[in-house]
Amino acid sequence: MFRSLPFRASHLIACLMLCLVLAPGCAPKKSATGPAKIVIWSQMDPEERARFEKNIAAYQAAHPGVTIENVPYDTENLRQQFQTAAAGGGGPQLIFGPSDQVGPLSLLELIRPLDETMPKGFFDRFVPQALDTLNGHLWAAPDQVGNHLLLCYNKKLVPVPPANATEFLEMAKKLTKDGVYGFAMNVNEPYWLAPFLAGYDGWVFAADGKPSLDTPAMRDALGYVALLKSKATGIMPAECDYQIAETLFLEGKAAMIVNGPWSWAAYRKGGVDLGIAPLWVLPNGKHAMPMIASKGYSISVNVPKEQLDAVIDFVTFCTSPEAELRDAVALGVLPSHKDAWNAPEITSDPTLKISQDAFTMGRRMPVVPEMRVVWDVMRPGLQKVMNGSMSPADAAKEMQAAAEQQIAGMKR
Amino acid sequence: MKKNDQAWTPGRVFVQVFLILFALATVYPILQIVTISLRPSDQLYSTSLAIIPAGASLRAYQTMLFQKPFLLWMRNSLIVSLCVTMLGVTLASTAAYAFSRYRFAGRSAGLYLFLMTQMFPATMLMLPLYVLMKNLHLLDTFAGLVVAYTATALPFCVWTMRGYYDTIPYELEQAALIDGCTPWQAFVKVTLPLAAPALSITALFSFMAAWSEFLVARIVISRQELYTLPLGLESLAGQFQTEWANYAAGSLLVCVPVMAMFIALNRNIVSGLSVGGVKG
Amino acid sequence: MLRAPRSFPYSLLLPATIVMLAVVLFPLGYSFWLAFRNMSLYHFRTHEFVGLDNFQLVLTEPIFWTLLGKSLVWTGVNVFFHVALGVLLAILLSGPVRGKTILRTMLVLPWAMPQYISALTWRGMFNFEYGAINLILKQWFHLPPVPWLSDPTWAFVAPILTNIWLGFPFMMVVALGGLTSIPADLYEAAELDGANGWEKFTNVTLPSLMPVLVPSILLGTIWTFNNTLVVWLVSNGGQPADATHILVTYIYKVAFTYSRYSYAAAFSVVVFLMLLGFVVYVMRRTSSQERTA
Repeated sequence: MFRSLPFRASHLIACLMLCLVLAPGCAPKKSATGPAKIVIWSQMDPEERARFEKNIAAYQAAHPGVTIENVPYDTENLRQQFQTAAAGGGGPQLIFGPSDQVGPLSLLELIRPLDETMPKGFFDRFVPQALDTLNGHLWAAPDQVGNHLLLCYNKKLVPVPPANATEFLEMAKKLTKDGVYGFAMNVNEPYWLAPFLAGYDGWVFAADGKPSLDTPAMRDALGYVALLKSKATGIMPAECDYQIAETLFLEGKAAMIVNGPWSWAAYRKGGVDLGIAPLWVLPNGKHAMPMIASKGYSISVNVPKEQLDAVIDFVTFCTSPEAELRDAVALGVLPSHKDAWNAPEITSDPTLKISQDAFTMGRRMPVVPEMRVVWDVMRPGLQKVMNGSMSPADAAKEMQAAAEQQIAGMKR
Repeated sequence: MKKNDQAWTPGRVFVQVFLILFALATVYPILQIVTISLRPSDQLYSTSLAIIPAGASLRAYQTMLFQKPFLLWMRNSLIVSLCVTMLGVTLASTAAYAFSRYRFAGRSAGLYLFLMTQMFPATMLMLPLYVLMKNLHLLDTFAGLVVAYTATALPFCVWTMRGYYDTIPYELEQAALIDGCTPWQAFVKVTLPLAAPALSITALFSFMAAWSEFLVARIVISRQELYTLPLGLESLAGQFQTEWANYAAGSLLVCVPVMAMFIALNRNIVSGLSVGGVKG
Repeated sequence: MLRAPRSFPYSLLLPATIVMLAVVLFPLGYSFWLAFRNMSLYHFRTHEFVGLDNFQLVLTEPIFWTLLGKSLVWTGVNVFFHVALGVLLAILLSGPVRGKTILRTMLVLPWAMPQYISALTWRGMFNFEYGAINLILKQWFHLPPVPWLSDPTWAFVAPILTNIWLGFPFMMVVALGGLTSIPADLYEAAELDGANGWEKFTNVTLPSLMPVLVPSILLGTIWTFNNTLVVWLVSNGGQPADATHILVTYIYKVAFTYSRYSYAAAFSVVVFLMLLGFVVYVMRRTSSQERTA
């Protein structure tokens, strides 16, 4: 009776193998891959994505036989997945995202230096603030600039935006009543601290590229934001991160908020009578200066030679004035192409004009990979100052020490 | 069940009330997700505690079902999850039977081996997993996902099945063997039916392991036609702006098949309270 | 033990083993290999063998021991409540209760929801001023609001509460299944001996549940120890001030924020070895108990 057993068991194995073989058959048929198919992994907000799909449709209509596939990711996943896939020899041809992702990706040799890849003179078309050089090369072709924080206000509550720190504080105090706060801002993220740091004449890196976090400017900036957040001033809610600030502003329970152009569409959709203004002048008499950055396309090292021309052509299309202007007008972002930057569609639009002015006040966010470390070490210090468990001076000292230690660890 | 006819003693009332309150508290966070899904603006949080938000609308559900490729994601997820369930239950019930009923060289090492695969933090396994899948040409295939998920589900399934087999007396199988059954027949015809509750648990677990997973799915799948539900939902999220209403609606819709599966298996999981066969 | 040809158990095991080895062997081996090299952002293509350097660094940094402590608390508290709540609810639900199906279905919902949105929703409920939890504390119990997300201690309690909520339904389902394996006559016998409810629980229910429960507890411990997602989402990446990291969220951060791959791999190997030690210890103890029993 035992004879039949191995047969039965092998039967079972055969069944399972069959299962595995059949499973891929369930998948839809693969479309042809070749020079005609370009895959792009991108980080875009929903509205931006919808616009981009329209640009893709326009491009495909003009180039029959070419298929563009856009795969959306969020910022962190985009970088991680691309890192994994490209290092493993696969991944997409193009990656679109914030300018600072070129830092790690270029060091890991996963993207191509575009100044050598794109045709000669390609980069002359962009406004200078849009281009970031790292280790002597350009790594991304930007199609928009911005990411700058501004003062967004609810026109129902704030007829004229405050111009300086005194006006700001007075106005915010007056508006704080009946469950409405005068001001809300994401105080957990150092990106929101950066404008104040720059306003007090500080910066995250010194001229020699080393982190410069333990400075009087950092102490002043931390002190100023802590003052706004403090119970004594009373113009902000006790716990205030991005989501809460946004919720309050959308519900008319915060009169002013500091946020970037990406947020406007949602505010308008939510029924807020939105006004925007550059950040106010700080007590030291200088404007708070937001960080500015671009978003752009980088080309993977894994793109084979025969496909490169098709990829370059698509990138050229995406950074053309036509494509950029369509995006700018629909999304409220600023174009990176000189012609589009100066186009009447932008300069005659009141919101975009203010945004442009605020942008020109900003400082370019460094794209070196150490920037990630700096963000990371600033976050704890900032949060400790905000919940009152540490003084600005101690926090600044701690940030600097942590930055030096982490950067050393990263370079081991 | 005869006990249901008993009188409402104070203890029984207390238990009943406790269970109802606990269940309500458990469901409360999910009601919050319902609220998010009904909100007309894409707002994750609110300062109001109202369950039905101002201007509530079902538009997010309509969007998810008819404008987004939600049904495609659902189909993909169902294919993957059901394959994992079948494969997981088959492989686990056989392997666990060997561990429970036989002594053989490498038995305890084998048992540990299954557990050991769960001990390594997943973060660091992603890059090599990608390379592996790429070399086996399993990237962007459901087969790749099914194999990976089965491997994640198996340790639990094997150990649980083995634990359950251990509670079933040998005598029935021995009798069957004496009656002329092969060991395989004794397993399939005698033991397996008695293990129905454990089979249901492993089935539910395998299904869930595949249904809600997205770290591995992210690595294996990058073509949108092949997105499973977690990947599809994740694609609704942006850096700062996320389609929260759609996201919440989608998450709730994702629950529906799981609940259906649970209710279907529920009977198996709890039916055996009077376990007739085992007494013998 | 049953009798069968020597090959029979192996042929039963073969399919499962093939699948496991196919998927797990290479990634595990690769990570161990990586732990002895210096792959990082600056040595990505040119990494070399560095011996035990990474391990030395991991074990000498004070942060390791802090994180280990937090990981242990995180795991212990979570698993305790998962099992306690799961078993309690399962037992109550198998007693004389009305509306079993609907209660069971409601109680299993946290398991069915995608964790990403559940975790974010809980983060919202923990808000100091507007979160449901503080509002309930204030309105129903007249308690002062708790700084769930800004105070380092409470910010660690918050993800634990969330994860207890996420995890007990699984243990409940396992326990429900385990209860079915208990023959009714065992209870009848206990009743004849005059056992009260608690005695029935400790003498009949618990021992009979153990074979099914032990694997779940073991694996639950491993999973909880290695759970990155919940802590990461509820604390928004370790907030406030990186005070809420456990070992595995720290590994995640080191690997992906700082691209210190080899260091992270060494960290992972250490975690792996600790868990292995734990499981071997527990198994030795339970199997020796089984033998004496």
